[in-house]
Amino acid sequence: MKAIQVRQPGGLEAMELVDLPVPEPKANEAVVKLAASGVNFIDVYQREGRYKVPLPFVLGQEGAGAVTAVGADVKGLKAGDRVAYASILGSYAEYAAVPADKLVPVPSGVTDQQAAGAMLQGMTAHYLSHDAFPLQRGETALVHAAAGGVGLLLVQMAHNIGARVIATVSTGEKAKLAREAGADDVILYSQSDFEAETKRFMGGKGVDVVYDSVGKTTFEKGLNILRPRGMMVLFGGSSGAVPPFDLITLSTKGSLYVTRPTLAAYTATREELMARSGAVFGMLAAGKLKLRIEHTYPLAEVQRAHRELEARKTTGKLLLIP
Amino acid sequence: MKAIRVQHTGGPEVMELTELAAPRPKPNEAVVKVSAAGVNSIDGQFRDGSLRTPLPFIPGQEGAGVVTEVGAQAKTVKIGDRVAWSGVLGSYAEYVVSPEEHLVPVPAAVTDEHAAAAMMHGLTAHYLVNDAHKLKAGETALVHAAAGGVGLLLVQMACAIGARVIGTASSEEKAKLAREAGADEVIIFTRQDFESEVKRLTGGKGVDVVYDGVGKATFEKNLNVMRLRGMLVLYGMSSGPVPPVDPAKLSEKGSLYMARTTLAHFTATREELLARTGALFAMIADGKLKLRIAKTYPLAEAPQAHRDMEARKIAGKMLLVP
Repeated sequence: MKAIQVRQPGGLEAMELVDLPVPEPKANEAVVKLAASGVNFIDVYQREGRYKVPLPFVLGQEGAGAVTAVGADVKGLKAGDRVAYASILGSYAEYAAVPADKLVPVPSGVTDQQAAGAMLQGMTAHYLSHDAFPLQRGETALVHAAAGGVGLLLVQMAHNIGARVIATVSTGEKAKLAREAGADDVILYSQSDFEAETKRFMGGKGVDVVYDSVGKTTFEKGLNILRPRGMMVLFGGSSGAVPPFDLITLSTKGSLYVTRPTLAAYTATREELMARSGAVFGMLAAGKLKLRIEHTYPLAEVQRAHRELEARKTTGKLLLIP
Repeated sequence: MKAIRVQHTGGPEVMELTELAAPRPKPNEAVVKVSAAGVNSIDGQFRDGSLRTPLPFIPGQEGAGVVTEVGAQAKTVKIGDRVAWSGVLGSYAEYVVSPEEHLVPVPAAVTDEHAAAAMMHGLTAHYLVNDAHKLKAGETALVHAAAGGVGLLLVQMACAIGARVIGTASSEEKAKLAREAGADEVIIFTRQDFESEVKRLTGGKGVDVVYDGVGKATFEKNLNVMRLRGMLVLYGMSSGPVPPVDPAKLSEKGSLYMARTTLAHFTATREELLARTGALFAMIADGKLKLRIAKTYPLAEAPQAHRDMEARKIAGKMLLVP
């Protein structure tokens, strides 16, 4: 089967199109013929070596398709079942072997591309707004990179909850998308200082929560715009990792909370995984959540996909089609 | 009036008993004749310069007494009122002047000594279990320095809520006090490693919340004893400040939450202050919260009080009586 493999971490050239045997399922696994794979920023970090993975590995950790084979111990799954998954490496390929307890059913109202596009980023947006800092109607959230994959979904969910959303984006085009997704105020951080702008929007008060996937360039200023006892939810680092910080700043800036969550911690049990993916698929099927699939790329064009993602040219979700 | 004055920062001996003019109130202030002043570890931090305030100064942030003079615009207090305060520098003296909004009424059923002893530690314990991390029945809390000023009150409040309390203490004597306050288990950390003990006591799962006023000495291990998505509330630094923290650690150790809190942000409005002191004094009056006044010193013995505090020999509250 065709697959994208990384033998040494690096730039775009670290991703090689190779021919590998179709995997056989272990006793607790099922094999999925992938209809689509999601491209995520975490793939870039793993490709670069910023997040370490034993080498060589097949990149990609999100996909949807149909089951083709099940391992001896697997119950409740059979060939032909439509499934999706996230957080299991190996999805930039035609087939992937996945532990059965990580596979969730895809309902008929959701396409394979929607499922592959929504698993990782949709569940991320869901846990951020419902659990890491459960947003309440009337609260205000600042969402960075609001036109990105997680961003557009998070803005929609926050808006549906009835929260006020202040979005930061880099271009006018992205600002339009963020507004369409439900953002109340949009800041072009390339032109304005988001700290000053947020304080202006908020009449000097702070926001309840900052959802920050950008990291290095935004963290400190994010602490400055939180209300007393507000929360910084740092869930990524697209501008770089946040360096170690002095905890005293949290107390002087308002007895603030910080959390640095991962999706794995919010889908740690089968129940939680099913509930979260179910909620996301339900929102998609009901039209309450719109997934913007910006571009689909053939598997062989994965370098172009990463180049465009890293250049911050893209909005919404990128998919690879094997 | 007699007062303790610090002209330059340093050890306990820099606190000198001097004769100073009694303060006069500004229009919105009142002067209080101090019946008792509480001794707190934050007093040591101002005295030794780890926390900064302009020199010379009169230490002490907490006390209770009777109003003797009011400023022309003071509305909420009158001469003769029994009041208590926290967060007003200058309490190690016969008289202290305070903005009226920091003075709270003391009910008849609570003595001056109890009010002085309860303010900072009691308000701290109250905000910790009700707001910083709202403790629920059935949760497990780790309380460091469980026989300390805040510790003994925190243990009582946590038990009243129905939480399981694991305390740490430095000696068998202190462990006994913590147990009497209601702690389910107490780890004598000078004999046992609290990390492995907490893991054993929680079947490897970890606690829901850690309430820590110790800081540096316990920080690293605290990260290892919480359950997935658990909360570390850091409210003090009696062993010294925690070195800068890499946010990635929070995610590695289980998508943990962390807050670094100060009392000021939990008593930021007069409403909130009165609600908290009202609740606190009611618990004391009803006998539901027992205060341990370990030792009372004459004002002149303030240096000895600090020496005793820093030697960690005293279990419970220390008061200075002018």
